[in-house]
Amino acid sequence: MRYPAFDGAQRLERVLGDPADPASVFSYARCAELDDADEFPADICGVLDDFGLPRHYIPVEFGGELADYQHSVQLIRMVARRDVTVAVAHGKTYLGAVSAWVAGNAEQRARVAGIITSGVPVSWALTEQAHGSDVLAGDVTAEAVPGSDPPAYRLTGEKWLINNATRGGALCVLARTRPAGGPRGFSMFLVDKSTLAPGTYQHVPKLRTHGIRGADISGITLRDAVVGHDGLLGAEGTGLESVLKGLQLTRTLCCALSLGAGDHALGIATRFALQRQLYGRTLADLPAARHTLATAYADHLLAEAFSVVGARAIQALTTEMSVLAAATKYLVPTRTEAMIAQLRRLVGARSLLRDVLEQGAFGKVERDHRIVPLFDGNTLVNLNSLITLFPILGRGTEHASAPDGEGLRRCTELAQALPPPRHHRLSLVPRQGSSLLRGLPAAVTELAGLAATDPHLAGLARSAAALRDALEDLYTAMRAQPLAPVTVPAPAFVLAQRLAAGLGGAACLLLWLRNREAALAQDSASTPLWRDGVWPQLALDRVLTALGVPHPAPRSGYDTAFAVLRHQVSSGHLPSLFSVPLAEARS
Amino acid sequence: MTSLEERFGDPYQGSNPLGQSAIVAADERAELAAGAEALLDDFGLGAEFVPRELGGRLVEVDALVRRLRPIFRRDAALGLGYGVTSFMAGLNVWLGGSEVHRKSLAELLLGGRKVAVGYHELARGNDLTANEFTARRDGESLVLRGRKEVINNADRADAAVLFARTADRAGGRSHSLLLVELDGLDPGRFERLPRLRTLGLRGCRLAGLRFDGCAVDGSALVGELGTGTDLALRSFQVSRCVMAGAGLGVLDAGLFAVLRFALARTLYGRPVAALPHARATLAGAFADLLTADALVTTTSRALHLIPGSGSVYAAATKYLVPLLLEDAMNALSVILGARFYLREGEYAGFGKHIRDLPPLGIGHAGGVSCQLTMLPQLPRRLRRLGDRAPAALFAVGAPLPGLDLTKLRLLGPAGDPLLATLREDLATLPGTPALATIATALDDLVTEVAAVPARELGVQASPAALACTERYSLLLAAAATTGYRRHNPAELPWLSLALSRLAARLAPAPTLPAVPPDIEEALLADLVTRAEQGFGFCLDRDPVHRSLSH
Repeated sequence: MRYPAFDGAQRLERVLGDPADPASVFSYARCAELDDADEFPADICGVLDDFGLPRHYIPVEFGGELADYQHSVQLIRMVARRDVTVAVAHGKTYLGAVSAWVAGNAEQRARVAGIITSGVPVSWALTEQAHGSDVLAGDVTAEAVPGSDPPAYRLTGEKWLINNATRGGALCVLARTRPAGGPRGFSMFLVDKSTLAPGTYQHVPKLRTHGIRGADISGITLRDAVVGHDGLLGAEGTGLESVLKGLQLTRTLCCALSLGAGDHALGIATRFALQRQLYGRTLADLPAARHTLATAYADHLLAEAFSVVGARAIQALTTEMSVLAAATKYLVPTRTEAMIAQLRRLVGARSLLRDVLEQGAFGKVERDHRIVPLFDGNTLVNLNSLITLFPILGRGTEHASAPDGEGLRRCTELAQALPPPRHHRLSLVPRQGSSLLRGLPAAVTELAGLAATDPHLAGLARSAAALRDALEDLYTAMRAQPLAPVTVPAPAFVLAQRLAAGLGGAACLLLWLRNREAALAQDSASTPLWRDGVWPQLALDRVLTALGVPHPAPRSGYDTAFAVLRHQVSSGHLPSLFSVPLAEARS
Repeated sequence: MTSLEERFGDPYQGSNPLGQSAIVAADERAELAAGAEALLDDFGLGAEFVPRELGGRLVEVDALVRRLRPIFRRDAALGLGYGVTSFMAGLNVWLGGSEVHRKSLAELLLGGRKVAVGYHELARGNDLTANEFTARRDGESLVLRGRKEVINNADRADAAVLFARTADRAGGRSHSLLLVELDGLDPGRFERLPRLRTLGLRGCRLAGLRFDGCAVDGSALVGELGTGTDLALRSFQVSRCVMAGAGLGVLDAGLFAVLRFALARTLYGRPVAALPHARATLAGAFADLLTADALVTTTSRALHLIPGSGSVYAAATKYLVPLLLEDAMNALSVILGARFYLREGEYAGFGKHIRDLPPLGIGHAGGVSCQLTMLPQLPRRLRRLGDRAPAALFAVGAPLPGLDLTKLRLLGPAGDPLLATLREDLATLPGTPALATIATALDDLVTEVAAVPARELGVQASPAALACTERYSLLLAAAATTGYRRHNPAELPWLSLALSRLAARLAPAPTLPAVPPDIEEALLADLVTRAEQGFGFCLDRDPVHRSLSH
């Protein structure tokens, strides 16, 4: 199936050329060398600047080219499928800028847009050495400069483990504006290094990291750094709110990094299995190896589908992003991490050698990707976000209000045009709950109707009904959790993991239902996935196992998936639900 | 004799030349920490690999695993790099070599020299019988041709045990083992290949050997011509248990690092160690470490007591233990958060341990090759489980008969003593949901294995058939934990958490795992007590020198 959201990605691919060609600037070989040397990929980032990628971090209404978040997701994915380090190094500018999009005034947005357009990286300075993800414990302070009106601010303290803190020209800094702190005690500041007085800031050197070794993970120490009132983004005391709203966007976009890493790992493992000779045949001829690859592919398709729905939801179900951002940011990176680990066992010794298989890229992609579950709110933070929503999400279908049918349709039907991003509509609390969850029972009924006339869909219909029932049981368990406990009990995290998996399952089912006719009307390598509900049944197999109610998909479904995967990888296409030729594509 | 632990000193003391920061720095340079190998030389580690009758200290395999633990707890690259591969080479010779072979190899190892073990060829992987390195008879000589690749210490070993094709015909008797002294070889026809860069175990010296019509004396042949595969597969049974056991030290060290972090770090106004999720994760990792140790200990002892089962038990151990260890380390890394990702600072050692685990798991037979060792044997083993295992299998410290490598078999007898014991234990232990799940899983496995078609018992195994081996391994772990508990009654109640975690792996369930909070708390209290008092986290509570305070 063709999805126009990949148009920009394909244009970028044509510019970048075949990554396996060591002569191209953005080649696997070059990335491996930079990684060995812990060196920042400056030349590659320059190529992305020349392509105009930074303009895709700026919403259209502020003068950029970001009209559909899905375009930006797929662009970043193309970068990440070559090298996660570059994707992190470059894409972080969107994270740096998001506070301006969410909370800034027109002048501030224009200023940030100008900085980005000029090719200067912007970074997001939230975390501190002593406090990590506990941002409300932050010690960086901003005090009003006496006598200034409206007040200018004097910022003091250290931000640590900040991506591009050293190389970036500007930062959005979260700082304490009330000594007592608390949810209204922090504010967000746009700090343009070029306007700071000399001696008022100093960089904390880059730290050496497990993966993304070339990235500029460093820090900045501010000492009475004076920022004018025009640097305050939003009203004083709204810093936490703008962080949380910004995270609703950035967490969804982080999935692009996982998808790209997954594309890369699946590609390496599949190519390896197809050429590796063992016991007188190729590894890919062994049923168990095929099943490992097909299972990994099923995880990847689940991640892709959930990411597509999550990114479209930014514009179609804006007020529900608190749910979807946390769920996608938990599920997609953790699934991808586990998938890569399974593929590593298939690849074997070569995954651990630097110089043998594709420049040691397999081991590198595994190391690089492990940053993704950590940043922008780690796994526990995201699960905790979901746990705080249990009282709303656990109401159960019968007590919940009707889903936002229009929004749900726009979100899941790919041919529907999306409204432009409306960042002011982001909400910390999804008052109506989740339309994906509340729309699931009707989708299950609709599918049962289809299955009544098409016996090929009977298995999928059973899996879908099992998902609905498992979620009802989950809501019951969620309601039994204590309200606002002092510390979150450990079982709540298990429920949140299952809730995220259930949301992923609902996203898959709806995405398939709303697009299957369009997909089947086209003839492409991925079409067999859409026929007879093959891919959603595989995805639900993965989801239902996570929910503790296994419903294995038939082996024929895995065989179909493997055949599609083999075709996509062999012909230089993205391993995807969609038809996306890459730079290395052979027609 | 001063223990290895004492010689290594506190890993958290900054000035310790074998402390964590020195080891991490050496890892960055892809070297072993300066002085580390000299320390092991001085300790005479090589003697651990040599049977007592040849002048060494090797008597019981489970004791060897415990003695190696301090090294792997410190630095897995040191453990493997110094000489566990010499041990693997040695096993083949202890099993099949002549008196001359055995004496000369014992002399090398007792003298602290290194012996490489050359099975692997990159293009062939675990498919041993397809190996292309050849040794051809030419009068009194054997002429060697081909390459051995990804071989630990190939660039510096004094000798090597080489797995070579000695006949063109296919089948089990086409290969032989040779013991070759490398230094005297014709330099025009033999070379040591450059060292390979690795992504974990970076201090290990993985390299290769290339022979180009190089002649060695015919006496290099270990055992009869054509017995190479047989000798190798029997030696593997010991080395697989030892390699799996080596990883326990890595998790022990990782668990300590994260506990240390959790006690010191404040998050949301309280120590991380006070957060229920962190407590559950620490307790769970501890339970999994003990489970893994129970399995390693039991199957290592089985090599002495029920050697006929060695093939299957060693494969199951080498399959399951690396998975348990990796999962536990990953869960722990979540507590450490971003600190786990840094290659510098106080917790950089944890990241190194995480990088070292996968190569330790893959090295010397990856998961699928272990599964393919188990699968064809399962129908015969499970048809009738037969007699239970002898009590000495579980009673650690009870004397064991000497290790007789010649009693190891490629295919074990009918029946499965460990699962027979488990079935009886399940009938007598007080019923819990976890035990019920395990009992059902055992019955289901017996039924499913019986239904696997014969053609699916080999490399053409269906995914479902191959999955039987995972559940079989989990059931062996359940048998090992219940057996250990029965015969070591003073132990704390980790068993119920261990079993509920095994049950969750055996059968996903929609209900939340019901672990009584007091059990988790008791485990955590034990963990902290051991850490404070200087004891390790494995079953034997060995004394450890490491400081908890910052």
